[in-house]
Amino acid sequence: MAETMAANQIAASQARSSRRMRKLLERTLGYTAATMIGFFFIFPVIWMFFTAFKSDQDVFRFPPTLLPHAVQYVDVAGERLPLYTVSPPDGEPRKLAMVKVSEGQGTYVNPDDPSEVFQTRARYAEPVLTVQFQWHNFVDAMNRGARPGLKVNFWTYFKNSSIIAFFTIIGTLFSCSLAAYGFARIHWPGRDVVFILVLSTMMLPFQVTMIPLFLFFTETLHWGNTFLPIIVPSFFANAFDIFLLRQFFRGIPEEMLDAARADGASEFRVFWSIVLPLSKPVLATIAIFTFLWAWNDFLGPLLYLNSPEKFTLALGLQDYQGQRNVAWNQLMAASVVFTMPVMIAFFFAQRTFIEGIKLTGSKG
Amino acid sequence: MPGKRFWIVLTMLVVVVGLLAACAPAAAPETSEAPAADQAAASEAGGSGAGGETLNVWITWGDNPAQIQSLFNQYGEANGVEVVVNSPVDNDKVIAALSGSEPPDVLVLSGPDDVSTWVTEGLLEPLDDLAAANGIDLEDIYPAMLAQGKRGDSLYALPWGSDTYGLYWNKDLFEEAGLDPEKPPQTLEELVEYADKLTKVDADGKITQIGFVPDFSWSHIEQYAPMFGGYWVSDDGTQVLLDSQPIIDALKWEQQFYTKYGPEEVLRFVSSTGDYASAENGFMAGKVAMTVDGEWMVGPNFIEGLKPDLWYGVAPFPYPEAYPERANTNAVGGTVVVIPSGVKDVDASAKLLAWMMSPEVVAEEMIANYNLPSSKTAAEDPRFHENEKFVIFMELANDPNATTQIYTPVSSEISTELSLIEEQVLHAGADPEPLLKDAQEKLQAELDKALAQ
Amino acid sequence: MTASQASAPRKRTPRKNRRWTKRSRRNLVTGLLFITPWIIGFLAFTFYPMVSSLYTSFTIYHVRAPSEWVGLANYQEMLADRRFWKALYNTFYMVIFAVPLMLFGSFLCAVLLNLKLKGQSFYRLVYFLPSIIPLVASTILWVWLFNTNNGLINVALGHLGIDGPSWLTDPQWSKPALIIMGLWGMGSTIIIYLSGLQDVPASLLEAAELDGASWWQRLWHVTIPMVSPITLFNLILGVIAMFQYFTQAYIFAGAQSSTAASGGRVLGAPLDSTLFYSVYLYHKAFINLKFGYASAMAWVLFIIIMICTIVLLRFSERWTYYGEEA
Repeated sequence: MAETMAANQIAASQARSSRRMRKLLERTLGYTAATMIGFFFIFPVIWMFFTAFKSDQDVFRFPPTLLPHAVQYVDVAGERLPLYTVSPPDGEPRKLAMVKVSEGQGTYVNPDDPSEVFQTRARYAEPVLTVQFQWHNFVDAMNRGARPGLKVNFWTYFKNSSIIAFFTIIGTLFSCSLAAYGFARIHWPGRDVVFILVLSTMMLPFQVTMIPLFLFFTETLHWGNTFLPIIVPSFFANAFDIFLLRQFFRGIPEEMLDAARADGASEFRVFWSIVLPLSKPVLATIAIFTFLWAWNDFLGPLLYLNSPEKFTLALGLQDYQGQRNVAWNQLMAASVVFTMPVMIAFFFAQRTFIEGIKLTGSKG
Repeated sequence: MPGKRFWIVLTMLVVVVGLLAACAPAAAPETSEAPAADQAAASEAGGSGAGGETLNVWITWGDNPAQIQSLFNQYGEANGVEVVVNSPVDNDKVIAALSGSEPPDVLVLSGPDDVSTWVTEGLLEPLDDLAAANGIDLEDIYPAMLAQGKRGDSLYALPWGSDTYGLYWNKDLFEEAGLDPEKPPQTLEELVEYADKLTKVDADGKITQIGFVPDFSWSHIEQYAPMFGGYWVSDDGTQVLLDSQPIIDALKWEQQFYTKYGPEEVLRFVSSTGDYASAENGFMAGKVAMTVDGEWMVGPNFIEGLKPDLWYGVAPFPYPEAYPERANTNAVGGTVVVIPSGVKDVDASAKLLAWMMSPEVVAEEMIANYNLPSSKTAAEDPRFHENEKFVIFMELANDPNATTQIYTPVSSEISTELSLIEEQVLHAGADPEPLLKDAQEKLQAELDKALAQ
Repeated sequence: MTASQASAPRKRTPRKNRRWTKRSRRNLVTGLLFITPWIIGFLAFTFYPMVSSLYTSFTIYHVRAPSEWVGLANYQEMLADRRFWKALYNTFYMVIFAVPLMLFGSFLCAVLLNLKLKGQSFYRLVYFLPSIIPLVASTILWVWLFNTNNGLINVALGHLGIDGPSWLTDPQWSKPALIIMGLWGMGSTIIIYLSGLQDVPASLLEAAELDGASWWQRLWHVTIPMVSPITLFNLILGVIAMFQYFTQAYIFAGAQSSTAASGGRVLGAPLDSTLFYSVYLYHKAFINLKFGYASAMAWVLFIIIMICTIVLLRFSERWTYYGEEA
């Protein structure tokens, strides 16, 4: 008996230490994996960030570099001239300032002694590059009016996107929470059948309703080129958010509602002053999901907004991608600017946001 | 717990949105206020309901939107209206606007490809009467170009500027390869030979410089097909000729530039060249030695503005050695102006159109962007004859061997199909003949059906 | 909050037999009032357009003239349209490869984010960051990262001695490239998984740990069954969304067409390998003005999605765990 006790103790302590070892190993593995995967997520973002500071020529340079480079200029007798490394086939490479190029023939001077002039084929010269951050890309990106007649710029798009996102969030929160309450906390005959109908609308691809709705909004209601076709449907509830809210509402203890009902509160009052205040996490979640969706929505604006003064950011960012060239640096600068606020909001709201999702009602 | 005030504000907002939704037209000025606020002329633009104060011009291309806006400002100032130019506009936006309730007052298209479909759908105003009423001199327009805007007996599109293509070559790279920098290839056979000399492959078999890419930036088969003696539609527009010998020959000729180095290698190299309208463009950056490109490439929006140091030349595209009579063959196309049906004031649109078509305006716009004028009077403007490289294109467009595209009700279907076949042949090494035969049958049937209606 | 929910007794409704009591009638009225916004929305923005598009799919639509009834002609045309089949194939490819990869990837990420690591909030931000970058910018960015010669990915692979593929000009690699791009932006799915992981009762995991179950065993025998309803949810939503894959493909096509190697082809390059169902449908409708044909395509898509969803739900019963409630 005693022997087995001792053996058990030894085994237990061995198990403990091996468990500690395993814990340590698991942690190390966890950090390594999380960091490696994190690198996959963040690297393009970092690249985007640095691209925002690059010069036009730098963007396509081979091999690509993370830090922005630009041609170095030197003062030669009061003039700012670009510096080149000139290496003609029959001579030593030299750092010279370029004066001009014509018919493929380049004229260069020694920056230290402007009287020393060199003539050679321009193809033997390579510009000298140094790290330079082009801060003005941000200013250019914000002020860029790709369509001068319309006086639109980044802020126009920003404002439009904000208006749409704001009303879409309000509409979604309002209509979906009402409907979700109706499905979660009121027992009416036929409820479950109707709820299955709600869920099954998720299967309906937008392509089925796209054309009739387009014709309905533009031809019948004359809402073409306004925000209404994009905003108004959000005031009439959607299945995904109803589902999310219903799951959360179901987790609220019935006694709390019954107590209010016993006090003579109407069902709406119960919903308004008891259920909603308890549901902040899920409302925050839906607000963020809806915001992201509205912020990135492309098809709605693409279909309904025709003139650039109505464009959202998602559409307007295409301005930077012209028909025949992309203003990479400005596009990335604009993206950095308008990712920032969302990023900060997410950082602080994440806990609430994650708590809000209760897909499996069983653990409510 | 959200405060009471929060919910009151929320409810009020909902009510406001509801009201906005109820009166849609009222919402429109509300949202367009801010962009107009910093406009000096904003006060004039108010009250768009009366019609005619603001004219919207949409242009589906746009290399220099600022220049084009200032051109239209001249009309605005002279006529006390505001002309708002939206350029460039995506093609899908155009269709949405045409089929919706707010089409632009005047629409400028990069080419007449879609005109047929839109005419069938009744989306465009016929221009014959409007042209006559507003004094547009149709006699002054090059007849071949005018013909492109006709569908049946009616005129639906007026040519504004036109384009044609020639061979651009990089003299630096010629010199480096031991070729005479002043002598471009004369024949197609020479072009193949030069292209080979101008292509550099490194030790790993990777291309580092390429002589010629037949579909660089976009397809140029409309230029090649006439060089091989044909076109994919008969002159009267009733027969599809996709599987005819000239098309097969043209595609096979194009294909060799890919097969020689392997399509993957060519594509790998070409995709590493920069954007078309930038100094990183493969030709401007000295990575592609010869290319087919339009007259605008010479001008301030392209080489003159982006890479003025480039040492290059322009020549008519080479002809087949066996057919010297095909020298200077080229296909002229160009921008057209249309008036959508359902514009708020057809006469105001037509008046603006007439102004756009006047030789002075045509001259000014085309010189600014280096495009060919559609008006004979405008073409006499000395400014078109200053740049010797540009003059080559002026002469090409007027050459007896200049051709224009032939449009049918299924033009856009044919060009889609042909572009897919070209991609298969060039980029995947497919045999053109069976693909063309297949497309021929299908499209001839579609054309017959469309013509029978 | 969570604790109070956990202690809440579940009230079932044992009123089946007394269906039409006064209370239940009142409840019916109240319930319907609450869901009125949805009912109106359903009728106006779902039901009416469905009927309308079903009708349109049997017609040739004219903008300024009445539609022509053509019976099944649009559906017949679809059968003969090579590009339709190509688009369907490409879309199925994405559903079959991208959706499971995304589920697996986002579950893995969620598990990592759920470890009690230092700097957890920072990791969460990093994993979620790509989803808040505007799609237009991120898609164009990726097109550039995937460039065969100059792209960062191939340059990096080159340093490892690997000759990277021609991601965007080789039809074999263009869809995998899009999948990688999609994996990068799957933040929302990660969040949904993460919330599910946080609902796995700690007591269960502790019990398993005391029994000597390794991390892997706990994951396999406790966590994965516990989050299986979420897997089903993400799977079905993922499949439905992937069949409608549009925005990225559309922007991708635009970004591709501005490159010299695409030959200016707007749609599907290279070699129609990125021609997806929704984009083709959109193109048919708003470029070619074939509303009838596009509507027919939309209905075929609807039927495909419906079949897939039902099949998935059927088979899910075998592997989904709903606790006592099931």
